[in-house]
Amino acid sequence: MNNYGLDLHGEMLLEEYRTQRPLFEKLKHVAMQQLGDMLRSSGIEVNSMEARIKDERSLAGKLLRKGYKYATLADITDVFGARIIAFYNEDVDRIASMAETLFDIDWDNSVDKRKMHQFDSFGYNSLHYICRLRPSSAAHCSDGNLKDTIPAALYDIRFELQMRTALQHVWSAIQHDIGYKTEMEIPMEYHRNLSRLAGMLELADNEFSRIRNAISEYRYRMQSLVQSGRLEEVPLDGDTFQSYLNLRPFDKLNRQIAAVNKAELHDAPLMPYLPVLRKLGLKTLADVERMMSADYDDAYQLALFQLGSTDIDILAESVGLQNLCIVHVLKMGGGRQGLVQLFDTVNGKKPQNEVLASMVFEQARRLSFKVKDD
Amino acid sequence: MNIIINETEGGMTAVFSGRLDTPAAVKAQMDIAPLLENADREITLDCTELEYISSSGLRLFLTIRKETAAKGGKVIIKNINDEIKKVFMMTGFFNLFDIQ
Repeated sequence: MNNYGLDLHGEMLLEEYRTQRPLFEKLKHVAMQQLGDMLRSSGIEVNSMEARIKDERSLAGKLLRKGYKYATLADITDVFGARIIAFYNEDVDRIASMAETLFDIDWDNSVDKRKMHQFDSFGYNSLHYICRLRPSSAAHCSDGNLKDTIPAALYDIRFELQMRTALQHVWSAIQHDIGYKTEMEIPMEYHRNLSRLAGMLELADNEFSRIRNAISEYRYRMQSLVQSGRLEEVPLDGDTFQSYLNLRPFDKLNRQIAAVNKAELHDAPLMPYLPVLRKLGLKTLADVERMMSADYDDAYQLALFQLGSTDIDILAESVGLQNLCIVHVLKMGGGRQGLVQLFDTVNGKKPQNEVLASMVFEQARRLSFKVKDD
Repeated sequence: MNIIINETEGGMTAVFSGRLDTPAAVKAQMDIAPLLENADREITLDCTELEYISSSGLRLFLTIRKETAAKGGKVIIKNINDEIKKVFMMTGFFNLFDIQ
């Protein structure tokens, strides 16, 4: 048994801790299971989730410093502590809101450190909730066996749930590493430097949130424009092309090509064609529509020429767009080399692309649209 | 049509020879069972001796691809002749596989 130099009261609390340690282990298991379920169902991506039970030495240190404040072990609310490190301030708020429905919150002892600073001071920012398991929530835990094995005493134990952003965590972890607890412990100069960094990270947190919100708004606005058919206003990028693909713009051509051999259409990703379309100089979704309109018949004729004499009855859903791109390259005078570049972009650079380009080039020369010789 | 399957370092190799037409593909569905069981690994389809592939053959390759995608493996198709390349290209399946 270690001698931590505690008084009798401290020793009694420490003995209580040793006896209850298995209960804390169980609490940790149940609480983390519930928090994990909560995050999964919310779809919030977090940086990490951590949990720890205060070790004996650390608890003894706390009792040595201020053991007189605690009548029983139940008064120490951070023997078990969990921490969720999110990416954005808004996610911290959402997680807190969900935690409020999951656990009983001891509001008198919970604290939002983010709101404790003076308007001109910066420092530790984190949201701390003092919680208890709630029987009704534990019953819905994804581990079905768990709820039957939760001892009633577990619902009485309070624990601490810390919620913060990754940047807040970085500041806190470094401050902890430096060994700085209060402004009295280090010279004012260093305290000022830490505060300055806290302010900068707070600013960075807000900026990340602002950027995320701006991107969400952009996506929403572009989706609305795509859905309302205002394609002239929609730049061609990864987000807008995906929204456009959701409208299945190449289905008509695919079905017409598939009808040649009564073929089934197999799922295939079309996003690999986005860089091709951009290399072809298309700037907006309206440009894509114009290309489809101009090259539709020739793309179909190419497919008819390729497939008409075969009995192939399975095609990828990329076949229509692939043929549109081939025809467009050839009509623009890209020639064999243009086709090599197209296949390099879609298939990755490989020697077979030269062979494919030559095959397609020779096929296309026999069709009615004008293919410029290279 | 013949398929010889060997375990290699890090994966499985299936050597196809002959014509992978519809009757051959039906039989091959059973032959490829060891590949599907090892779909979490790298599966190489060596087509050096493969002369022809039908739609059923394409479906067979797609089955292997689907299984590897689900289990975290990978399919590599090696040494297909120009006619089979043409089939993969004009059906739009070329970029679905790692064709070497």
